[in-house]
Amino acid sequence: MTTPTTPTRLGPGPATFSPGGIGESQRRPDGVPKVTGEFEYSSDMWLDGMLWGATLRSPHPRANIWSMDTSEAEDLPGVYAVLTHKDVPGRKVYGMEIPDQPVLAWESVRYQGEPVALVAADHPETARRALEKIHVEYEVLEPLADAEVAMEEGTLKLHPSGNLLRHVPIRYGDPEAAQAEVVVTGEYEIGMQDQAFLGPESGLAVPDGEGGVDLYISTQWLHVDQDQLTESLGLSPEMVRLTLSGVGGAFGGREDLSMQIHACMLALHTSRPVKIVYDREESFFGHVHRHPCKMYYEHGATRDGKLVYVKARTILDGGAYASSSTAVCSNAARFAVGPYEVPNARIDAYVVYTNNPPCGAMRGFGAVQTCFAHESQMDKLAAALGMDPVELRQKNAMSEGSELPTGQKVEGPTPVAELLQRIKDMPLPEDAGDGPRDLRELPGGVSNTTHGEGVRRGVGYAVGFKNVGFAEGFDDYATARVRLSMSDDGPLVEVHTAAAEVGQGVVTIQAQIARTELGVERISVLPADTRVGSAGSTSASRQTYMTGGAVKLACEAVRERLFERVREELGHPSDGFSIEGENVVSNGQMVVPLAELLGGEDIEETVVHRHVETFSLDENGQGDADVTYAFSAHRAVVDVDTELGLVRVVELATAQDVGKALNPQAVEGQIEGGTAQGLGLAILEEIQVRGGKVLNASFTDYLLPTILDMPPVKMDVLELADPGAPYGLRGVGEPPNISTPPAVVAALRAATGKELPRMPVRPEQIVGIAVEPPRRRPQQGSAGYAEIGRLDERSET
Amino acid sequence: MPGYNRAELSAELKIVPSSRAEKAPREQVEAGTEAAGATGLAHDAGPGTTVLSGGRAEVLKALMKVVEASLDAGARGVEVKVEAEEDAGRFGGAGGRRGTS
Repeated sequence: MTTPTTPTRLGPGPATFSPGGIGESQRRPDGVPKVTGEFEYSSDMWLDGMLWGATLRSPHPRANIWSMDTSEAEDLPGVYAVLTHKDVPGRKVYGMEIPDQPVLAWESVRYQGEPVALVAADHPETARRALEKIHVEYEVLEPLADAEVAMEEGTLKLHPSGNLLRHVPIRYGDPEAAQAEVVVTGEYEIGMQDQAFLGPESGLAVPDGEGGVDLYISTQWLHVDQDQLTESLGLSPEMVRLTLSGVGGAFGGREDLSMQIHACMLALHTSRPVKIVYDREESFFGHVHRHPCKMYYEHGATRDGKLVYVKARTILDGGAYASSSTAVCSNAARFAVGPYEVPNARIDAYVVYTNNPPCGAMRGFGAVQTCFAHESQMDKLAAALGMDPVELRQKNAMSEGSELPTGQKVEGPTPVAELLQRIKDMPLPEDAGDGPRDLRELPGGVSNTTHGEGVRRGVGYAVGFKNVGFAEGFDDYATARVRLSMSDDGPLVEVHTAAAEVGQGVVTIQAQIARTELGVERISVLPADTRVGSAGSTSASRQTYMTGGAVKLACEAVRERLFERVREELGHPSDGFSIEGENVVSNGQMVVPLAELLGGEDIEETVVHRHVETFSLDENGQGDADVTYAFSAHRAVVDVDTELGLVRVVELATAQDVGKALNPQAVEGQIEGGTAQGLGLAILEEIQVRGGKVLNASFTDYLLPTILDMPPVKMDVLELADPGAPYGLRGVGEPPNISTPPAVVAALRAATGKELPRMPVRPEQIVGIAVEPPRRRPQQGSAGYAEIGRLDERSET
Repeated sequence: MPGYNRAELSAELKIVPSSRAEKAPREQVEAGTEAAGATGLAHDAGPGTTVLSGGRAEVLKALMKVVEASLDAGARGVEVKVEAEEDAGRFGGAGGRRGTS
C-alpha cells in the first residue's frame, strides 16, 4: 500500500477523458477506482508530519458544565494541543441558517455527542487516550426529549427565544366550511433515519504559514462551509480555501459542518497539518439526521371520491440545534397534501428544539415525512369509499395548471395520473401461492422460519412529489468557468465548478454537457474548490439543473466567442458554425482548424446560472415558493410472515418523470438508490433514541438494507421536458426516496390488515404486540441477553 | 452571520453587571437574557453573550428592550456590537432564505 504525500485527488477519475454527449449512458470515472480500492476518500489523505485530531463529546443529552481540566491531557507525550471554547478565534457558534450551535460547548450541552474539547496528537491512539484525560465536571439534567412536550406552554426553554423554531401555516380555501360526505382521520409517525453514508466525516487542514489554512474536505457545499469557517476562525475568505476531496456519500448529512472548524483550529494552533477522521460510532453523533415526525391528518371527500378538504398538523423534532430545520418545516407544509387537487386545506407544520440529536437535511426532506401520511390517508379514504386506491389517486391527481395549497400553479408536464397508470399496468410478480417455495424467496430466508405457512402477499401504491432547487425567495445560483485551449494532444475543454461530487455523477454530467455544447472530445473537469464561485449545495435534486445549467451557459459563451473570432479574423459571414472534432465547420465543410484559430489565445468564460425567481410564503402560506417539481410513483409487492412479523419485499416497480435523462445509466442508479433508501426507511432504518440517548450508533444495530433485502426494480423513466429547465431536465435523486416508503407500508397493510401508522414498521407491529416491550430484566439463557444486556439497556452500562 | 438565511442585522450583546446594584450580578444578566429571549430573535453566542439577528428594524427595537431591561436590573452596561450584513438576503454574492433541499 502506498501513502500519498500530498492531498492528492484520485477522486472523480482521470484528469482528462472523452465522454459521450448528453443522453448517452456514460460510465462513471470514479466507478472502477472505488471498486478496486484506489479511490482516495477524504479519510485516506495523508501528509508527512501531520497530526491527528480527536473530539471529546458530551455523554449526556442535557447537562451544565461546571469545570473542565485539560492539564493531564496536555502533559501526555505526543499531544500537541488541547483546545476548548476559549480557543475559538472568532464567533463561537455556527449554523447554516441560524448560528445557534457552539463550535465547542462552554457552560452547557444540549445533546449527547456535543463537542466539548479537541486534541491534536502525533497518533490517533494518543489522541484518543488524551481525550480520556480531559476531566469535565457535568451537572446532569433531565433532557427534554419529546417534541410535543417541547411545544407546550411553560415548558423548559432550551434556547433563549424558546423551543419553537418555525411554524408554517397554510390556509387555502375554507376548510372549516367545506362539507364532506366521507371523512377519514389518522395519526402517523416516522422515526429518525440516518443518511448512513459509508465514508465517515473526515478532512485534512493544512496551515499555509501565513495565518491562513487550506482544508481538503468531503462536503456538499464548499462555499457555505467556507462562509461559516471564516466567521468562527476570524479570517477573511481569502485565507480559508477549501478543496473537495473524495466523498463517500452524503444524502444531506454533509450539508452542516462536522469537523471542519475543529481541524482548522487545531492546524492553525499547532502550525501542523491536522487530519480528523470519525469512526462509525462518532459519525452517528457527528451529523444531523432525518427529522422524526408526528402527523395528524383529516381528509374529507365526496362519495364519488373527490377530495373536499385536507387538514394536517405536523410536528418535526429538530433536536438540539437548528441546522436546516426551518426549510424542512416549510417543505413539510408545502407538500402536506401530496400531488393532488385539494380545494380547501388547513396545514400547520411546526419544528421544535429538543435535547435529541440535531436533525437536518436528508434526501427528500419534509416531503418524505408527509408523503407517508398523505398516502396512508388516501388508502384509508379509498377503503372507506370502497374504491380502488389507484383510481382514487388518479381521480384527484394534479395536472398541468393545478394549484397547490400555496396558491402556486404547477407549470409544465405534471404526469401524476400517468405515472400511477404505468406502475399499475406493469405485470405483477408471480405468486407461488401454496405451492413449494424456495426458502430464499420467503420472509426469513434460509433461517428456515417458514415454508410458506402464515405468509401473506400484499401490494401497495404511492405517489409523491417535491420541488427541485432551493425555494422561498432564495437566490439560488451556480457558477461555471469553462476554458477552451490547445494542448499538446489537441483541443481541450476545462470545466471548473465548485459542485460537490458526492457519488451522484455530476462530474460526468459536466463533461457530457461540455462535450455536447463544444463538440470537443477531450474534457477535463477540474477539482471542485473555492477558487471559483459557489455552485450551491449538492442537494435538493438541484446540481445537474443548476451547475449543469451553468456549464451549458458557459460553453455557449465560449462557443460564441470562438465563432465571433471566425467571423472577425477570417471574415467568414456564416451563422451556421459548429465544432466537430478539432475543426470549426459550416454546412459540413471545414472552415478552420481549432489549432489555427486558438493559437496561444485560450477562450475562457465564467457564467452564473440562476433559476427563476421564487417568493416567500405570506402569513397564510401563500406564494410562488417553488421553481419546479419532480414526480414519482411506486408499487411495492411484499410477502409477510404474519406469525413472526418477518418481511420480504418481493418487487418494487416505479415510474418517474425525469424531464431528460442526461446520463440514463446514472438516472437509473439514482432511482434504484433512492428506492433502496426508501425501503430502508419503511422496514429497517431507525436511530433508536431513548431519553435523548442514541442506542444503536453502529451498523450492527442500525439496520441498513443489503443486497439481500433489495428486490429487483422495474423502472419506467419518462422524459417529459420541463420547458424552463436546461435540456428540459428535472431533478432525479429525491423523488424515489419519497414514494417508496408509503408504497411498502401500504403493501404491508394489504398483507396483514394492520393499520401500521408508524414507520419503520417493526415485526412487533405486524404481529400485533406492543411496540415498546415490557422493561424486565433479561433472564439467564435468554438468547445471550444475560451477557450483554438488551439493546435499550446497554447505554446504561 | 453565516449560512443561508442571512439576517439583515445582527447585534451581539454582553451584559456587564454591577457589584453595587441591589440585584445580584447573575440576576442582572438574567434580566437582560430573558428580555433578549422574549424578542424571539435571540441565540446564545458564547459565555454571557447573546446575539439578536433579524431585520434591521426588529433587531434595533429588540436591542433597546434588552438594554433597558439590563439597566433596569442594575447592570453597569451592555457591550453591543452591531453588524449590518452587506449580503443580507444574499449568500456569497447571492443567497437568502433557503426554502428547501
